[in-house]
Amino acid sequence: MDFVPTSIKLSAPGGVAIHWNDGHQATYSYGYLRKNCPCATCRDKPPEVKTEPDPFPILGKGPIQVTGAAQIGHYAVQFNWNDGHSSGIYSFSYLREICPCEKCQANRAWL
Amino acid sequence: MGFLKKEAAPSENAVLEALRTVQDPDLHQDIVTLGFVKNLKIDNGNVEFAVELTTPACPVKDQLKAEAQNAVAKLPGVVSVIANMTFKVSSRLGPQARTLIPQVRNTIAVASGKGGVGKSTVAANLATALMKCGASVGLMDADVYGPSIPILMGAFEPPKVTQQERFIPPVMRGVKLISMAYFLPKDEAVIWRGPMLHKMIQQFLGEVDWGELDYLVIDLPPGTGDIQLSLCQTISLTGAVIVSTPQDLALEVASKAIAMFRKLKTPILGVVENMSYYVCSHCGKRDEIFGHGGARTASEKLGYPFLGEIPLSAVIRSRSDHGEPMVLDDDNNPYAQAFRSIASAVAAQISIFNHTPPPMVSIEQ
Repeated sequence: MDFVPTSIKLSAPGGVAIHWNDGHQATYSYGYLRKNCPCATCRDKPPEVKTEPDPFPILGKGPIQVTGAAQIGHYAVQFNWNDGHSSGIYSFSYLREICPCEKCQANRAWL
Repeated sequence: MGFLKKEAAPSENAVLEALRTVQDPDLHQDIVTLGFVKNLKIDNGNVEFAVELTTPACPVKDQLKAEAQNAVAKLPGVVSVIANMTFKVSSRLGPQARTLIPQVRNTIAVASGKGGVGKSTVAANLATALMKCGASVGLMDADVYGPSIPILMGAFEPPKVTQQERFIPPVMRGVKLISMAYFLPKDEAVIWRGPMLHKMIQQFLGEVDWGELDYLVIDLPPGTGDIQLSLCQTISLTGAVIVSTPQDLALEVASKAIAMFRKLKTPILGVVENMSYYVCSHCGKRDEIFGHGGARTASEKLGYPFLGEIPLSAVIRSRSDHGEPMVLDDDNNPYAQAFRSIASAVAAQISIFNHTPPPMVSIEQ
């Protein structure tokens, strides 16, 4: 079966909530999603991602956040981040592969 | 004649009930439930209505017309029946296409794995066949390396540029065209890296005044490279038509193209077998130069529709070189017939895809 999201909620409590066509659902924290950006630059050198609020929030941009998203073709979604990054194209199969829910994590532990 | 009891004219409901017996063989529903029946008029016993199909190239148009007329004619009180066959091409646009090409209802990529299998010839004839059926059609030559659509369509006048820096595509026999060939001096080549190709795809889609189109046919270069990927990323294609010759080598590479579209979740409308066989013009003997039926077997094995086969022929070759797509010939020409039935099959597949709701992702804040 081809896993395709039915809905992607960008500002759900705890991050980005994805509902799948097989009924599966999970919330991806912003930090986790940003760290796993599949673009060539981030794969080459994992991005530094700020997930905690700045203790002195004068100049900093604050913790990482999704500011927007767009569907790409039939197969993927692209996220815009508040650190200016937006080149990662997250295919649906990749998002499913990195699903952070406990069950999927346990399944991956076998690999 | 006065002794003949005149039967009462049928009610609107009775006519609709009768039409419910007529099934669309592709969509597997009756034409009333599908909402195809329009403008029903009953004047005494004279019944007139329109059947609005989802494509003018419907392969079962005549069959549906006959079935609908017969179903109504059987009703008591009916004196005459006229079924007018009309069409409104269905569409299923993704979010990106809605902003980039809002008036284009369907986008069809013509692709192959291997080069030289006749993609452009199929694309030119597919576009022309759909246009001949009455659809509004555009043809985009996305093969920047070997742009051949202008030659195949016999259209050499470059697009005009408006003051808003948009391109007005040249129109040849009713088909709107765009090609890299219009922007290059002859004997020059495009030697570009990926980002430039991506930009070109976006411009060919978004900066060309396509206007309202039922079908935009896109002729791709061979392979699974930047242009294919950019196209599948920029818009949600309605689907892809795969062209292959029957030889094992070509089919092997075609399966790579199929794998790419599957990965990008782009629907595959079916497979066309080109250069299927050769009929000797001297002795009439049929020669299967590249083997025969390989594409049919392969498409059936993979579970995709087989759209039809086109013979290898000097006539098609010379027509193509002269910029006169084969389908312009009348119905008696077997080559024209081959292309036309492929176009109908493609249109039918598109209607089927558009009828099933897309697995659309809703993205919310």
